[in-house]
Amino acid sequence: MTPRRRADRRAGLLFLTPALLALALLTVYPSVWVLWLSLERRIPVFGVARFVGFSNYEFLAGDPRLWNAARVTLAFTGASVALELLLGVLVALALSEQRRGRRTALALLLLAWALPSVVTAKLFEWLYHPSAGLVNFLLGERSLNWLGDPHLALPGLILADVWRTTPFVALLCYARLLTIPAALYEAAQVDGAGRLAMLGRITFPLLRRVLLIALLFRTLDALRAFDLMFVLTGGGPASTTETLTVYAYRSLFQTLQLGFGSAIGVIVFALVMATAWIYLRVLRREGMAA
Amino acid sequence: MRHLSLAAPLIVSAPLLLSALLLLAACEPAPPRSEPVTLVFKHARILGPSDPLPGLVREFEARHPGVRVKSESLPWNTDEQHQFYVINLEGGSPAFDVMMLDVIWVPEFAQARWLLDLTELLPRAELAAHFPAAVEPATWGGRVWAMPWIMNVGLLYYRADLLARYGLRPPETYEALVAQVKRIQAAEGDARLDGFLWQGKQYEGLIVNLLEGLWANGTRLLGEDGRLFPDPARAEEVLGFLRRLIDTGVSPPWVTAADEELSRRAFGDGRAIFLRNWPYAMDLFELPESRVRGKVGIAPLPRHAHGARGSGATGGAHLGVDRRTRHPEAAVALVRFLAGAAAQKTMAAGVALNPTRTALYRDADLVRSHPSLPLIGALTAAARPRPVTPYYLMLSSTLQPEVSAVLVKVKTPAEAIAQARRTVGYMLRDVR
Repeated sequence: MTPRRRADRRAGLLFLTPALLALALLTVYPSVWVLWLSLERRIPVFGVARFVGFSNYEFLAGDPRLWNAARVTLAFTGASVALELLLGVLVALALSEQRRGRRTALALLLLAWALPSVVTAKLFEWLYHPSAGLVNFLLGERSLNWLGDPHLALPGLILADVWRTTPFVALLCYARLLTIPAALYEAAQVDGAGRLAMLGRITFPLLRRVLLIALLFRTLDALRAFDLMFVLTGGGPASTTETLTVYAYRSLFQTLQLGFGSAIGVIVFALVMATAWIYLRVLRREGMAA
Repeated sequence: MRHLSLAAPLIVSAPLLLSALLLLAACEPAPPRSEPVTLVFKHARILGPSDPLPGLVREFEARHPGVRVKSESLPWNTDEQHQFYVINLEGGSPAFDVMMLDVIWVPEFAQARWLLDLTELLPRAELAAHFPAAVEPATWGGRVWAMPWIMNVGLLYYRADLLARYGLRPPETYEALVAQVKRIQAAEGDARLDGFLWQGKQYEGLIVNLLEGLWANGTRLLGEDGRLFPDPARAEEVLGFLRRLIDTGVSPPWVTAADEELSRRAFGDGRAIFLRNWPYAMDLFELPESRVRGKVGIAPLPRHAHGARGSGATGGAHLGVDRRTRHPEAAVALVRFLAGAAAQKTMAAGVALNPTRTALYRDADLVRSHPSLPLIGALTAAARPRPVTPYYLMLSSTLQPEVSAVLVKVKTPAEAIAQARRTVGYMLRDVR
């Protein structure tokens, strides 16, 4: 390394310092603190604060409520992200083919995405209303107990999440579609390629990267899903919609067991980090991340 | 250009440092002696046509020259309010003096030493004017930590017109309630008329319904020795009964997702015969545009086979004072003023927030505008508070999924009771 480059490097590090400090202050410090809390039995209301090692984790390992929450979280994430990506691509393709009213369509799409999730939740509370809800009205005589049935509550929440976040995926994909040069399709047409071949050979390969990014964002978001279930079902019935974050919230802020709740928080953190790590490896293989 | 590289991070971080220092300085207490006392009063927004609080606060200020009250509203739901208080009371400097508290938080906050002990600051007779079921949760460890302010009680609403059509009187037992539902439903032949609505969603309201069931069956949630479900056989009966209500169609399947509002609206649309709810529902049923106006009656909650009588659970709000307040005298004065008879009467007249003072239920003006008040008062006198313990929220939060699991047939009553006992045992290992 030349002295010049070394100096540049040092200057670079110096420039980075404030950002790193802020990052450390805002993320590393709380994370370490939560990790430490999770090794404690800490219930401030009762003045209980003592180190218990992995006792919280030991209890959680055999806690059916935690395993249930983990299952719910994974099922919610898998189903909602898969549906959102599928529908998002379809919507983006439809948009790019649309000749008129594209702006209106985009604005309408953004509306769903722009609504705060608590508002979305309230909206779906009415849609799913057992007697007055639009969904049951459309189903006719067969009135379904959407939020009160252990088999329907989670699908109902997934549907609400899909409605809310499909626009996000659709807009990302649509933006990518706009940047695909028309010349590519023209050349393919000259070569005698059909519509399906163009879709499979040009559109999808070029969408691949943006889809991976969308997948990353959506998965990490879905793993931390909270608002929809908290407002719509409170995690019920029978905890069939209680995600890990809802369980953590209840333990931390409702029952004020800071140590125990932090242990659940650490588990969510580990899950999200592991997922992010896998995705980043895939992205790196694609040459998209440093 | 190299010299800049060193300076830049400093330039960037200087404002950060400065603001951090300023923040620290702002936290320093600097009590100016001569300035007027300012009390911060944290309360939930009072919904309705007219919020009586600003007027009451102005009246208090007029009576206490030199004291100013700053009203600040809390987040809209009780979970967030609880979270707000916990974060602010557990750390940081006191940001408020007087706070509106859900009754179930008072022992918890008292145990955590967040509340000012009011025992010596209140005249002995002051609490005697309130319902015992409101005073009990304000007391913990033999000391008084809050003043009762707003009262709530579980009631049975019934369609008086339907019952009268078949010559029936409000049921005294749940058995009779089920029989009446079956008889009326069969005779009316209306598939859209539900029987008995209550709150079965996985949330605090479900535990309220469970408690009322347990009391109605002559048992309770916590035994004298602090054991959960001291009489599991009777608890199983209650859980089994709730589940059978759904199985037999006496209650619609959606009660497993119902909160107060969902069940209140269905009953208000004239689509149910019985409803368990709080007193606020009556005011809405009596609105001019209501479909059930003049057709709704109020009765005590029924009892089960082993119970002597049914009792409604109480809820509502208390007023407490932050232990670190710099103006304890003024804060206590505000609490006493707001919980006083005049202020409670104003609130009851304005937005129908029921008073905790027993005498107001016989007040001529109030009874004229709210004719059901004397009956509600009598039922409140026989009502019971939820378990008065600092770990009530822990109990409730553990029980909610278990009871919900019974209602939707994921667990049997015995399984749910066993699991709840196991979890609560772990949670409370150190605290009692």
